Amino acid sequence: MRTLPFFLICLAVGAVVFGAAVGLGNDYIFFAGYVVLQYVVLSTAWNILGGYCGYVNFGTAAFFALGAYSTVAIYKFISEHDLYRMPMPFLLLIGGAVSAVVGFGMGYLTLRLRGAFFAIATLALAVVLQTLVVNWDYVGGSRGAYVIRPEAFPLIGSYIRYLFLIMLLLAVAALTIARLIERSRLGYGFATIRDDELAAEASGVPTLRLKLIATTISGALMGMAGAPYPYYIGYLQPSSTFGLDYAVNSIAMPLIGGTTSWVGPLIGAILLGSLQQVATVTISSAANLLIVGLLLVDFVIIAPNGIVGLLRDRRTTSAALAEPPLFTLIYIINLLPMYFLMYQGGTAEWIALFFWAFLFFAALARGWAIDRRWLFLFPFFGALAAQAAIAYSSFSLTVISVCIHAVGVLCGLITNRRLADAPN
Amino acid sequence: MPQTEHQPTSVATASLLEVDGVGKRFGGFVALENISLSVAPGERVGLIGPNGSGKSTLVNCICGTLRNEEGSVRFDGRPIDGLAAHQRTHLGLSRSFQLPRPFASLSLLDNVRIPRLYTVEARAHHSARQIEEHCHGLLREVGLEEKAHHLPRDLTQVEMRKLELARAMAAEPKLLIADEAMAGLTHSEIEDILTLLVRLNEQGVTIILIEHIMRAVMSFSRRLVVLVSGRKIADGPPEAVMRDPEVERAYLGQ
Repeated sequence: MRTLPFFLICLAVGAVVFGAAVGLGNDYIFFAGYVVLQYVVLSTAWNILGGYCGYVNFGTAAFFALGAYSTVAIYKFISEHDLYRMPMPFLLLIGGAVSAVVGFGMGYLTLRLRGAFFAIATLALAVVLQTLVVNWDYVGGSRGAYVIRPEAFPLIGSYIRYLFLIMLLLAVAALTIARLIERSRLGYGFATIRDDELAAEASGVPTLRLKLIATTISGALMGMAGAPYPYYIGYLQPSSTFGLDYAVNSIAMPLIGGTTSWVGPLIGAILLGSLQQVATVTISSAANLLIVGLLLVDFVIIAPNGIVGLLRDRRTTSAALAEPPLFTLIYIINLLPMYFLMYQGGTAEWIALFFWAFLFFAALARGWAIDRRWLFLFPFFGALAAQAAIAYSSFSLTVISVCIHAVGVLCGLITNRRLADAPN
Repeated sequence: MPQTEHQPTSVATASLLEVDGVGKRFGGFVALENISLSVAPGERVGLIGPNGSGKSTLVNCICGTLRNEEGSVRFDGRPIDGLAAHQRTHLGLSRSFQLPRPFASLSLLDNVRIPRLYTVEARAHHSARQIEEHCHGLLREVGLEEKAHHLPRDLTQVEMRKLELARAMAAEPKLLIADEAMAGLTHSEIEDILTLLVRLNEQGVTIILIEHIMRAVMSFSRRLVVLVSGRKIADGPPEAVMRDPEVERAYLGQ
């Protein structure tokens, strides 16, 4: 598919999403959706450098905050001089330009660094920029800055809808750019940088220039994602704008989705982003980081190449999962959060489904490998019993459900020794 | 007659590669000392020497992977001292690596496509289909066409080396430096690669072969250069060089 049709399809999907959100008639969906879309942009941007080129950037927050703070600076300037308010698309371009320049600079200064050293350098960049902002009184310093969000936007209604729409368009643009890169000479060049820089140079790939292109594009998109943020949040504070959440999430999302194509960050951001929104509302904002952490561990074990990779090579994945240590580990990691979430009640139970799915999946793969295909029944009935225990608030049922799970683990493990000794 | 010195004037005009007084140090260790070497278009040069004699360092200096502190390198009539490795590839100077370094996440076809996209295509544009056909052709030449859509991890050691050569050829070089393309291969596999290199040479590509396997070097080279401890001790027709007492002493032992 060519780029233009892809872009148009993305736009159409975007229009449907916007239409559906308007149809729900609740402005909360725009507040939550904005954050998810913001993460779609951030993780797509991160993936251009981190996924395509293999340079892990821990400084997402720095670029994001640069975009946000350039908006604050412009806002201050305009309100002090009583000028006409600048339209949002211009703010986006300026925030993007500032971050692009810093991205270029970062790329230039860290050219010789690879792997962990590059990651540390980007983390240092975030710290340096945060210190600068904290000491820059004009944009509020450590006190933070207030930005008054206009009430409404003509034709669209409330201003948050407008912000949502802007972010939606930015997400469409980011995905189109990512896909365009993937299919072009640039994408091939990026892949060679990820694989072997020396061989890339010998093949005529100007690795230095390509790395600079990647840091610049990636930085620009992150800055653009940050530019509307002050209007969204209303009160911009350095410690939260430079927070580690952005860095961790924008790495976790592509990793969960898959880093080799544009689909990965999109899937990861939608999945993890909405999960976090639900967890924040139903449990607590601290719980959402816990969930991200656990899911990340799960995905590193089950799908080292993300969901995209999981779908691509199913067979090797289930073979790996059938190994006793992994099977046990998956059980340990997922069982506890599942019970924890189930007892939170309400929507949290739906999040528990995720962890339950991992259990189910592990039992299925293990059962298949050791020829005990009924093994998946244990997590199934275990969860059912736990559900019943909650419904009737009965302690004995809880004990029973735990026992079912325990028996399931034992059945999965004990068979193995005999099979391993038997000749194939 | 070893230590053959070409006439300086004719060398300057006719040679494709001109290495002039190149020296390279790693800390206190002198890896290369005052190496001069000129290669004329269409030549088949063998570069030999014991382990650690500086062969790969010389290749790295010629290809821009390392920077030489002394001396200069001219290629195709122009100095290339300040140029980065990829710029030298653009000029027509290709190399294969001693240990194959394929792009692990890309298919064989894409491995070959990369140098094409970045060198040949940068000069003249072809359609995607033409590029693809050409890459298939290259893989066919080294006998890897059936595995065009496999990843490099599916390849055997020989196939890996063939891929390395195919990738170096994809840039359509004027000079190909094959750094130990045959190490660890069997008799018939060596024969395969030699045939390939000779065919390339007949198509007009100048080739410098770095090799330990004497049988291969002797049958391939029209000229032999010997490095020992970072110095060039002989340069001339293979038979004459092999008879040189200094070469015998240093390289083959007493």
